[in-house]
Amino acid sequence: MSEEIIEHGEKERLIRGFGAMVLARTLDNKIMTAQRQGRVGFFTPTSGQEAAQIGLSMHLRKEDIIYQYYRDMPMMLHMGVPVDIIINQIYGNSSDIAKGRQMPSHLLARNYNFMSVPSPVATNLPLAVGTAYANRYLKKQGIVVASFGDGSSSTPDFHAAMNLAAVYNLPVIFFCENNGLAISLPTEKQTKVEIWKKAEAYGMPGILVNGSDMIDTYEKTREMVEYVREGKGPVLIEARCPRMGPHSTSDDPTKYLTDIVKEGSDRDPLVITQKRLIEMGIITEQVATKMREDSQNFITSRFDELEKVPPPSPETLFDDVYDEHTWIIDEERGDIIGRN
Amino acid sequence: MVQSLNRTLDMKMAEDSSIILLGEDIGKDGGVFRVTEGLQAKYGEERVLDTPLVELGIVGMAIGMSINGLKPIPEIQFQDFIFTAFDQIVNQMAKMRYRSGGTITVPLVLRTPYGGGIRGGLYHSQSGESYFVHTAGLKVVTPSNPYDAKGLLSSSLDSKDPVIFLEPKRLYRSGKMEVPDADIKVPLGKAKLLHEGDSVSIITYGSMVPTVMKTVTENSLDADVLDLRTLSPLDRDAIISSARKTGRVVIVHEAPRTLGMGAEISALISESSIEYLYAPILRVTGPDVPFPYRLEDLYLPNTSRILRAVNRVLEFR
Repeated sequence: MSEEIIEHGEKERLIRGFGAMVLARTLDNKIMTAQRQGRVGFFTPTSGQEAAQIGLSMHLRKEDIIYQYYRDMPMMLHMGVPVDIIINQIYGNSSDIAKGRQMPSHLLARNYNFMSVPSPVATNLPLAVGTAYANRYLKKQGIVVASFGDGSSSTPDFHAAMNLAAVYNLPVIFFCENNGLAISLPTEKQTKVEIWKKAEAYGMPGILVNGSDMIDTYEKTREMVEYVREGKGPVLIEARCPRMGPHSTSDDPTKYLTDIVKEGSDRDPLVITQKRLIEMGIITEQVATKMREDSQNFITSRFDELEKVPPPSPETLFDDVYDEHTWIIDEERGDIIGRN
Repeated sequence: MVQSLNRTLDMKMAEDSSIILLGEDIGKDGGVFRVTEGLQAKYGEERVLDTPLVELGIVGMAIGMSINGLKPIPEIQFQDFIFTAFDQIVNQMAKMRYRSGGTITVPLVLRTPYGGGIRGGLYHSQSGESYFVHTAGLKVVTPSNPYDAKGLLSSSLDSKDPVIFLEPKRLYRSGKMEVPDADIKVPLGKAKLLHEGDSVSIITYGSMVPTVMKTVTENSLDADVLDLRTLSPLDRDAIISSARKTGRVVIVHEAPRTLGMGAEISALISESSIEYLYAPILRVTGPDVPFPYRLEDLYLPNTSRILRAVNRVLEFR
């Protein structure tokens, strides 16, 4: 299988995927450190989920629309979202697309077809279905991806979206990044059935992939993506991957997790993927080291630079509630920051 | 009103192929109140979707359609059933523009019948307008007659923001009036002065409008009657100018009193115009109890309760 990838001239694609994994890991570590230093307010780390996300997004095209969730920074980086967009959101500064209104990790980049992340989990899934409906009705190219964690599989929104996508036979990939935990609740206490198996109940294909291995995820998801692209209907992909850190910077995972996958260990998806790429002769140890160093330098410089960007101006508190300010908002704006 | 809404939807769908209707039993059945009668036969199943029974899915799908270039008009069969979709409305629909810095918007019109008067009991009668008015990012509209139904629906479809379009189901088949075939607009955020007088202002909307008008004409009251038509944003100027003119205000609505529209309107008048008032502002509303089945008539504000409140403010000194 790996031979085939090389023969198909996909070496570049694999290198780019791995490069995005490295970049995402570097940025993730940087943000976690910065949060501990008091430079960033909050974060939901993404370490451990890079291979799963990028293994899938290696199949995606720029016209595809993604309803990502709050741990999908690696996929965004891989799909070309500039690091600055992400860092500005993490700081919530005046250059942030969302004008500092959302907590860090709630990323968006409309120009790159990444939609906005809500905190209530799975609530984007029905939106993905509607967006796919519009795609088909308007005869637009592209498919829709809706990603979520294992906890989301318990929600009414998951059920509604899976059922609706199947009933209307829509081009949606439901992508479950199962990191084994919903904050503190292990998956086996979340559901009695393996998540990928739920697909059958809704009338769509479902598969399980090893989300710790980018190449494996990439190869195993190919057919599913093609199925959706051909207009055959939705699919459910469950990618198992580790959550290598806390749920967020606000919790201590040692309270509920005894077996945390350590960075650099042989269960770290970055290590697993790197090892395979070296074995396949696609990269060398030296190339991987160089990638890490370059990422480190790049991220550090962008992170420090963008920290200087000022916070959003006070007036922005009152913008974008409606297309035009209502009298109520104008009045309240006047009370709080003074009139124009 | 049903006919007016149906014709308006028909006209708008003919003009604009991006309009999609979705809801329960709205296609073959034409909707439980027949508002969408005949539209699926005319525009096809792709544009008039008989959806599975899942309100949060209907609303969530509509939001996703709107984001991607369609103009959806989801219907929730009864406003009482909207609550499973409340998360989608409050956390997605209402906040999308704000949380995306204006890069993602959700223009759509969510239609739903509300209020009592059909012997619908607890779950086919509620007036939940306050829930939506309380949520920044939504516009809330309610017509009281066939003309406004057309004009408000047309304007709602022009809105770049999501509109909760509350249809007083009790008025669906009452109040016959001429409605022009041509497109008409009733601007959002503008109340209508239905009756002019100098002694008292009666502020109302939706299903209570005919009841208030009946009270005024039967008793020859020297009253301003203001039909709000849009509940969010309120027509502050119309409310204040009438209140300042008469100095006596009664607010009438079917929804329960506590944190109902009356509370907000009363506060608005007090904050802006206390020096013009001769009497306390009174509210005539549904009581703070669940909506009953057999005792519906006792629940709904009627002419005698309205008259009693009007007399109290007129006689206050």
